[in-house]
Amino acid sequence: MTPVWLLLALLAGAAPPVPHFSTGIIPVLTKAGCNSGACHGAAAGRGGFHLSLFGADPDADHEQLVHALQGRRINLAHPAASLILKKSTALIDHGGDMALTPDGPGAALIESWIAAGAPRGVNRLLTRFRVVAAPTVLAKPGATTTLQAIASLDGEPERDVTAWTVFTTTDPASVTMGPTTAQGAQATVNRRGRHAVIARFLNRVESLPLILPLDGPPPDFRNEPAENWIDRELNASLTELRLPVSPQADDATFIRRATLALTGTLPNPADVDLYTGDRSSGKRAALVDRLLRGADFPEYWTLKLSRVLDLRSPSGEKAGTAALVGWLRDSLRADTPMPMDRWARELLTASGDSHQVGPANFPRLSGDARGQAELVGRVFLGVRLQCANCHNHPLDAWTQDDYHGLAAIFARLERSRVVRIASRGEVTNPRTGQPAIPRLPGSRAVTEPGDPRLVLAEWLTHPNNPHFARAQVNRLWRALFGRGLVEPVDDMRASNPATHPALLDRLAHDFTKNGHDLRFMLRQIALSQAFGRSSLPRPEVPKNDSFYSFYPTHDPEPEVLADAISWVTGVPDPYPGQPLGTRAISLCDPGSTAPSLDILGRCQRQAGCDMAGGGGIGLPARLHLLNGGLLNDRIGTPAGRLGKLLAADKSDREIIAEFYRVALSRNPTPPEAAGWLARLSQGPLGDRQERLEDFIWALLNCREFTSNH
Amino acid sequence: MPTNQIAGQRCDGWKRRDFLRLGTVGALGLAQFLRLRAQACGAGVKEPQARRCILVWLDGGPSHLETFDLKPEVPVDVRGPFHPIRTTVPGLDLCELLPGLAGMARHLAVIRSMTSPLGEHGIANQYLLTGYKPSAALQYPSYGSVLSYVRGANGLLPPYVAIPEFRGGAGYLDLAHRPFVTGGDPSKADFQVRDLNLYPGITPGRMDRRRDFLAEFDRAQAGEQSRLLPPDSAFSQAHRLTTSAEAKRAFHLGEESAKTRARYGPRPIGQSCLLARRLVERDVPFVSIHNGGWDTHDSLTLQLRDGYSGAKVGVGLLPSLDLALSALIGDLAERGLLDQTLVVVMGEFGRTPKLNTRGGRDHWPRVFSLLMAGGGVRGGQVIGSSDRVGESPHDHPVTPADLAFSLYTLLGVDPSLELHTADGRPVPVNQGGAMIRGLV
Repeated sequence: MTPVWLLLALLAGAAPPVPHFSTGIIPVLTKAGCNSGACHGAAAGRGGFHLSLFGADPDADHEQLVHALQGRRINLAHPAASLILKKSTALIDHGGDMALTPDGPGAALIESWIAAGAPRGVNRLLTRFRVVAAPTVLAKPGATTTLQAIASLDGEPERDVTAWTVFTTTDPASVTMGPTTAQGAQATVNRRGRHAVIARFLNRVESLPLILPLDGPPPDFRNEPAENWIDRELNASLTELRLPVSPQADDATFIRRATLALTGTLPNPADVDLYTGDRSSGKRAALVDRLLRGADFPEYWTLKLSRVLDLRSPSGEKAGTAALVGWLRDSLRADTPMPMDRWARELLTASGDSHQVGPANFPRLSGDARGQAELVGRVFLGVRLQCANCHNHPLDAWTQDDYHGLAAIFARLERSRVVRIASRGEVTNPRTGQPAIPRLPGSRAVTEPGDPRLVLAEWLTHPNNPHFARAQVNRLWRALFGRGLVEPVDDMRASNPATHPALLDRLAHDFTKNGHDLRFMLRQIALSQAFGRSSLPRPEVPKNDSFYSFYPTHDPEPEVLADAISWVTGVPDPYPGQPLGTRAISLCDPGSTAPSLDILGRCQRQAGCDMAGGGGIGLPARLHLLNGGLLNDRIGTPAGRLGKLLAADKSDREIIAEFYRVALSRNPTPPEAAGWLARLSQGPLGDRQERLEDFIWALLNCREFTSNH
Repeated sequence: MPTNQIAGQRCDGWKRRDFLRLGTVGALGLAQFLRLRAQACGAGVKEPQARRCILVWLDGGPSHLETFDLKPEVPVDVRGPFHPIRTTVPGLDLCELLPGLAGMARHLAVIRSMTSPLGEHGIANQYLLTGYKPSAALQYPSYGSVLSYVRGANGLLPPYVAIPEFRGGAGYLDLAHRPFVTGGDPSKADFQVRDLNLYPGITPGRMDRRRDFLAEFDRAQAGEQSRLLPPDSAFSQAHRLTTSAEAKRAFHLGEESAKTRARYGPRPIGQSCLLARRLVERDVPFVSIHNGGWDTHDSLTLQLRDGYSGAKVGVGLLPSLDLALSALIGDLAERGLLDQTLVVVMGEFGRTPKLNTRGGRDHWPRVFSLLMAGGGVRGGQVIGSSDRVGESPHDHPVTPADLAFSLYTLLGVDPSLELHTADGRPVPVNQGGAMIRGLV
């Protein structure tokens, strides 16, 4: 067998004669899938053989391969007869079938390593890892490019590690990974657009964009001068991909979109008229400023921030929740807004009576230190650390030490009504079996005396911390466009790259530079041309385009929809225990009684509300909208909007126009008005009021009403 | 064969995460991966013995010492108020308040050695209903949700129906795999499934008009954009459910004769069982029935036998359960459905061997009992036993993970089948379980 691997080693450049265990053998196991979560990398191993997930723990893996089972897995006298080789090449029965080809280079590497005595060797550091492709811009669907992965260990000269690098793609329908040959790994791009290939070698992940532009000419931005640098970043992508852009939305669409996104409220028809009648050039800026300073903004954003924090009453203690909600609302006041870095610091470091001190409820939102570490990860770093509870994060750099070290920062917190630092308290790091050492994740141990939360808060909100600002601006972007530059917004990692990495970095930088000001950032984004584009894509644009050539239609929160239904029907939704007329967006505690919100799919804050994807509303909700009381009880009631219009002897034409204006923020077009007049005056069924009720029911269920577009 | 068809859907439905896995097996090459995957799918969904499952959930934790594991030989402060009665199966003695079940012992498998360390309702619920101990990191799906995911919806009716409410949600699976909850009380004359029937005053003709009007709005709005919008399958399904006489008949207990309704007993548990029978008859894969009140910390006789103080004829939990279960199992057998319908009766734990000062028993998870019938289970047997006072398993301890392994196996779901969480982590439907010995 030796000549085969030698040949490959020569092709690949210089390889040491005896493969190094942690950097030569483990990548073979990883590439073959042996140490994946589905096989021996599972927490319980498989078939009595346990490897660390993706080879994160070389010592344990060496022990398993060389010493466990009285050393039966290897055969130093006859390396080729080693159990590990006979199993993996399926010479003898193996649950995972043939993971390695018998004469392939992987088996040869393992054999030569065993022949050399299966040495553990020292750990080596992966000092550099990069992926290149030629070309990265392809010409037509089905075109293939060749990827190479290059690594340097301990600062030695770079060598080709393509054969042992795991390549995946974020959208498998768009990019297909082919075989790895002596030239490199083949990737075929099937769809137009920009796609990411993810390469993983040892503990490093790199992503590489592959681009297949559209056929047509580059987009024409002459009618649409870039309003700010956000547009310049977005337009660069659109140009690169030759994606034609949709025109700017009309005024009525824009005011509805901006008002919904910034305030969770439908615009008043009078405001729509004023706006559409305004001929001044700065009217978008004036509108956005008015919305940001208005009373609905803090109301709605209190709900949004409550969702970010997974706010809910700890064991039904309403007083604490009320204090936290009050503090959030105060932090959003237009006259004295709280910068978000301070907001984060207060949440992270507060102590005291949680019924009085709002942010002191933050630790109480998690049951224990580990739960708080995960929440801090999601909220402030935009990352999901929970994988690292049990094993190093398989797709990211977070280690078990990071996870339990972050938890250790909160280990001494007492989470009763009065939150304070106790003299003792620790969490155990399962990797070491010892108390975890407080640690800034991905950075360093906390050795300073005193409350380690203060050190964490300083580190986290420091301008040099890359995570905090990116996580926050990504959420703000999502608030306006319905999706983040990284999705899900709490799952930022190298293997889940942003659609516009440079834009995300620049937004983060701008946010930091401008005092972590929420309103400032929202204003910047809302005044981009991209935010103002029509939601109708050009016919040639791919439907799932995520490059903002058109405005992405999306669903607002159930609370917003519930308020919109109340507003259109003219009948408030009675929430038990709340004054009549209380808005759904004011119910920040998901424990508050509100059957309609439960039906519409209110997030119960069990595990991250802003990760919930589309999915839409389910069968029970649909059944309720069809047959339940939420709409039916209210549409036709005399006290409601329709009842009052009928009592005032309004004509069908006037009633149709009124409902279009309040629900869709626009007048019906002449054909629409004529169509409805005809439909409402014909057919055998029922009286006039019933027909109007059916019209309103359909209006309240249609996509134009239920979505932000 | 609906099972295979659904298996095909799942197996062809390429997901991003599958390709993450594909990446990890890159050395195998695509063809081999496809072959392995096909095998995995074949192994994941088998043609099951039990095509359907009815779970009768006795919420609160029924006392094993008053139901399926009586201890007549021990002192009265352990023995409790009731006596056992013999059945045709030696050793399978049941409580005297379960004469109906005793008469059909040949269908029953009683497990007397269930054991769990969790003695608090919320977490014990989850353990029993998922086979996984609850974890802060991950919410596991209940049996019905897993079955809904694996089998999919195969017709008008939802694949997982909960009567009248539910414990056990979809966990990390999509919201669509939550149970369809009927609400209401099936024993009431005016029982209706929540939101299934047209709103008063909305005739079928108006419903059609509303659907047409809605189509008009969506067509007018979108034009170009309509191609962006996925058809709202929940809306179509809701509309079909509402307008289909066949679907509504499934939930309409009024179609049953007075004799049949009486056979199941007048209480909610009985009429819920009758409704469950109507649903499994129509091939709904998983129906759960929620029956509360079993958290009997006091007054065993009153709660379990009498129902109200001074009752001449007991209408408490046990007589009601006996009527309901014996009718359900008997009815399924008579209709030839029992072989393919697995009936499971359980709660989240048992009760303390020693009576407390209020004549009740407190939570006791260390040993408790569970009843199964049909669906390929070998009837007429007792599996495992508790010790002399019903305190610990004496032999053959069965954990909730073993239970999950066995239920999935009976229902044709490979316990090692891997599902994926929203963030792509593979999770087998069962971990650490083994088939309950002697069950089939």
